[in-house]
Amino acid sequence: MINPVLLIAIPLLAAFISVFIQKLSWVLLFGVSIFTAISGFFLQKGMFMIGGWKPPFGINLMIDDYSFIIIIVINLLFFLTLLSGMWELKKNKTILMVILAGINGLVMTGDLFNLFVFLEIITISGYILAASSDKYYSVFKYLVLGTLGSSLYLFGIMVLYGTLGTLNMADISQQFPNVSGSVKIISLTFVFAGLGVEAKLLPFNAWVKGIYGNTTPLTGPLFSTVFATGAIAVFGRIFGQILVPDSTLIFAFIALGLITFIFAETSAMASKKLRELLTFSSIGQAGLIITMFMIGGFYAALIQLINNAFAKTILFSYATKAYKSNGDDTINNMSGLFRKNVMMGFGFTVATLSLIGLPLFFGFYAKINMLQSAFALNMWIPALIILGSIIEGIYYIRLLVKLWNPGEEGQESSELAQSQFVIKNGFSLSLIAVLIGIIFVVSGIIPDFLTENIAKAADSLSDAATYLSTVLGGI
Amino acid sequence: MTINSLIAQGMISSLLVYLLTKLNKKLGAFLTVLFSGYLLFVIFGFQNSAGEVFSLIHFGEFELTFMTSHYAWYFAIVLTLTYFLVSFFNPYWMKKMVNPAAYNMLFMVSMVGTVGVFYAKDFLTLFIFYEIVVWSSLFIIPMGKSRKTPVIYYTISSIGSFAMLYAIFYLYHSVGSFDIQAVSEAMSQAPNTYRFVFFTMIVAGLTKLGIFPFHTWLPAAHGSAPHTFSPVLSGGLVKVGGFIALITATVIPSFKILAGDLQLMGVPFENYLIMLLGAVSIVVGTLMAIKQEDAKKLIAYSTVSNSGYIIIGLMLNDQVGFAGGMMHVFNHAMASGAMFLSFAAIAYRTGTTKMSELGGLIKRMPLTFAAYLIAIISLAGIPPMSGFASKWLIFQGLASNGMMFIALAAFFGSIGSFLYVFRPLSAAFLGQLSPKHKDVKEVPWMMQIPLIIMSFLTIFYGIFPGRILAYISKIQESVGLKGVEIEGTKIIAATGMWDSLVITLVFGGGFMLAAILFFISPKAKPVDQMNTYTSGEFIYDPDHYHYAKNYYATFENNYGNKKRVELFFDAVALRVKEFGEMVKTMFFAKSVSFSIFWIMLFFTLVYFWGDKV
Amino acid sequence: MSQYLYIALMFVGIYGLLSQKNILKMIISLNIMELGLNLFIISTGYIKEAKAPIILFGNEGNYVDPLPQAIVLTAIVIGLGVTAVALMLARNIYKTYGTYEIDEIRGENDD
Repeated sequence: MINPVLLIAIPLLAAFISVFIQKLSWVLLFGVSIFTAISGFFLQKGMFMIGGWKPPFGINLMIDDYSFIIIIVINLLFFLTLLSGMWELKKNKTILMVILAGINGLVMTGDLFNLFVFLEIITISGYILAASSDKYYSVFKYLVLGTLGSSLYLFGIMVLYGTLGTLNMADISQQFPNVSGSVKIISLTFVFAGLGVEAKLLPFNAWVKGIYGNTTPLTGPLFSTVFATGAIAVFGRIFGQILVPDSTLIFAFIALGLITFIFAETSAMASKKLRELLTFSSIGQAGLIITMFMIGGFYAALIQLINNAFAKTILFSYATKAYKSNGDDTINNMSGLFRKNVMMGFGFTVATLSLIGLPLFFGFYAKINMLQSAFALNMWIPALIILGSIIEGIYYIRLLVKLWNPGEEGQESSELAQSQFVIKNGFSLSLIAVLIGIIFVVSGIIPDFLTENIAKAADSLSDAATYLSTVLGGI
Repeated sequence: MTINSLIAQGMISSLLVYLLTKLNKKLGAFLTVLFSGYLLFVIFGFQNSAGEVFSLIHFGEFELTFMTSHYAWYFAIVLTLTYFLVSFFNPYWMKKMVNPAAYNMLFMVSMVGTVGVFYAKDFLTLFIFYEIVVWSSLFIIPMGKSRKTPVIYYTISSIGSFAMLYAIFYLYHSVGSFDIQAVSEAMSQAPNTYRFVFFTMIVAGLTKLGIFPFHTWLPAAHGSAPHTFSPVLSGGLVKVGGFIALITATVIPSFKILAGDLQLMGVPFENYLIMLLGAVSIVVGTLMAIKQEDAKKLIAYSTVSNSGYIIIGLMLNDQVGFAGGMMHVFNHAMASGAMFLSFAAIAYRTGTTKMSELGGLIKRMPLTFAAYLIAIISLAGIPPMSGFASKWLIFQGLASNGMMFIALAAFFGSIGSFLYVFRPLSAAFLGQLSPKHKDVKEVPWMMQIPLIIMSFLTIFYGIFPGRILAYISKIQESVGLKGVEIEGTKIIAATGMWDSLVITLVFGGGFMLAAILFFISPKAKPVDQMNTYTSGEFIYDPDHYHYAKNYYATFENNYGNKKRVELFFDAVALRVKEFGEMVKTMFFAKSVSFSIFWIMLFFTLVYFWGDKV
Repeated sequence: MSQYLYIALMFVGIYGLLSQKNILKMIISLNIMELGLNLFIISTGYIKEAKAPIILFGNEGNYVDPLPQAIVLTAIVIGLGVTAVALMLARNIYKTYGTYEIDEIRGENDD
């Protein structure tokens, strides 16, 4: 059993050391990442006080089944990101370790202000990493919106503090139903907008196109999987358990989620570049998952979150590597590229089909669960989800067909028309692609071996009473 | 052997085939022949089994189960037979395929998938295998001529399958079960739920069958798929749509549940609406087929028209017409399979399926010609081929219900089919041999096998349609309909009876007479294609002078060639893309101010509206 | 009542972000917004005629809430970091494009 504090402290310590001993930083980074990835499985569950103050007075870390599973997923994703982007690490190793600490803290913390601090740690690190793409204006846009978002979040939680006198999540979730309507609306909308910036919800996410669309083999998978998973998981925690909106306001939030999903999918359909297409697909998936959290389908949301995260690891790694190797990622110039590396093609295809939610792959299980929990609410949400899925399927299938089959339109497909593109440094990605591909297929046929813990996590999210008694039980 | 282990074996051996094809292309292709034969053999053993339940796996909290039934067996045998026969062509195309290993694997996966669809006990299993069939066949199509048509195929297919998924979960929400039997029982108490489900679920059947307005993918995908896969698509996979329609309208007995609704011509208006769509697709398919230059597109449009017959027959849900629709499933599988295969044979030898580049192949490929001839006779519904039996039954069903408009469309399609099936016959097989094809030979013996078998089955069941109809009457009784009446070779319907043996003898006599006349009368002198009168000009391009160009010019000029449905779908796709671009400019603009404006607007709206909370 | 003033200051900052097209001015707007926010946070802990929460000479009278002050300290530090990164970006933008005006920046997301 490993104390969760170590998951924050060790990466931070390693980051600190790596500043002084530059030569060791490579070892430190991989060592820390492997440590967190493995120790995620052996994490000790329960509540951990920081600094000896009992909650609600002190800051606490909270490991329930929900954060447990998210920690495992995020640390695995982080490790996979390092593997696929290991030629791009350069001077970013220290920042990466800080990010690792920040994202672990973000998921585990039991305090709203502490969450803000961790959020700022990873976003500031994110600005610096994103700047490595040399698209400084896009990063500046990200910075402005990110800062605005976190300010809105801070404002929201300070309104809550002014009313309730506490920032402890458990304490707030207990008292929140009793606060007056106007405070509820103000705090909820501000927190929603603030987290919406990071979680890529539609009116708040203008930065995404410039950042995700210009990613490198390191930042691509990092932003689209590690950051996105962390942000959405926090979103689920806060709006699923801590600040549960009431029925009228939740309607607006669900509407925003669905709008994000469908609008982003149509944008993806209109995209001609691979990274841009994946960007909009990520936004769409974020909208979908947040919708699922909002309507109370925690289980479906978690499955889709994991499905999306692992699928996007392959997709973004491949797209960014293709751009890095060839200086271009226009889909029309990439026809038949998978024929040059069948292993990556296999992983990419399986990930895509899983994302669309076709049977034999894990995504299908996510889809039927989503529909099931959506139907529990009303008839329109599943219809919209299905509409978005159709659009999503169309552009992904278009992409796959293009990338597998070289050939002029109207001629038999043949190797002659194959793209001149190559993928350099693709060995680690091939391995990851095959591994994730096989996991997707196996779990698509027998989902139980993955979903047992996810079901527990979903239960723990909907079971606020246990959360309360674990955190505040000592008082 | 049980269905569940059969499916598992199929999935595993498809992987095996992939690996072996990587080692040796021909070996893998022969394995597909072997395995599809094995599948056919095993499925055949289930002929009399009904109600046996096999559990596949626990899929999360759901259980996937199979159940044998007569209708499942019928569809499964038609499909596996088609796959088996087509697979004989595979070894010869391996060299030309861009990715033979994937082709063989997907071929097997889609075959196993269809068996899963038919034997599904619950809707979830049905949907899973339906989608497996869709995506596995989807990735074969772009190995042919086009990278765009698979997308059209997927788009239309997914409209259908997602509509079905919606209906399935709607049912699950209201009934609490995926089981087809349980749903069927629950629906008899809830006609209002069923009415909604009927229309959403049957969309899947319509899209797969290629019923108007979803027919656009057939010519696109069938016309550009690899030559060996077009017969599977047209002869086989289209029938999966027929199966969905059967489940929606007959296995869940629409005629009983909707008995309280408005009845049009003896059927509930819901069924009548679908039949009208079927009638429209008969007309559209026929008219468009007449115009086609490419033989594969022509056959694809003829599939649209024949799917119309199938859905009309199935929607009748009566003693005669339903039997006709079911029998047409088999007849069309054999006929269109044979047509596509004979053109695949032509493409194998000549490399083209454009009619204006072909001609006179009867002398070079007599067996292919014979197979094609028999297939089109069956398709046009002329005795003594099996196509006559099914069309006759459908006409009987329509006539006895007094459905004049639909019967009119059916007759129109029947007569129109003479026009379009004759065009490839005369253009590719008759007439003058193109100088390019002087050295063309008949296809290798292995490719002849399926052609011979298909022709034989078409003739055999033309003479003895009772053999199939006896089984169909069993199906009818199992779903609560009255079985079709047969006495020996006589088929009895409301307005009369018909003895297939007598008719065969009459036609056989007529054929003999014509043959004698042909052989004793003086022969025409064959003229070379280049040997034409050209007023002293040289002919560089014999194709241009081919008589197959504008074959039915006088007839074709009577109606336009605007593909309105395609244009409509294109327009919708364009609008979606434009909307996407609009979202990009509005929400992902260069300036930060835009998004800050949106954020502030969000707050403003929430606070305007928030005081009502 | 002073809270409303601070919120107004926040909105001044947001208005600056909305209206300004110069990158340096936007950074200044960002800082104004953060300033307003920090003042607002301090004001939530304010108690009239209370002392600073430093216990030196025994326990007498009311103290203002120390937590918002701690939070503001953190927020200020974070704001400083963000401003530093923003200035770094501004510098790089100027190096690359030769301008601080957003409208004159070409070459990013130009599709």
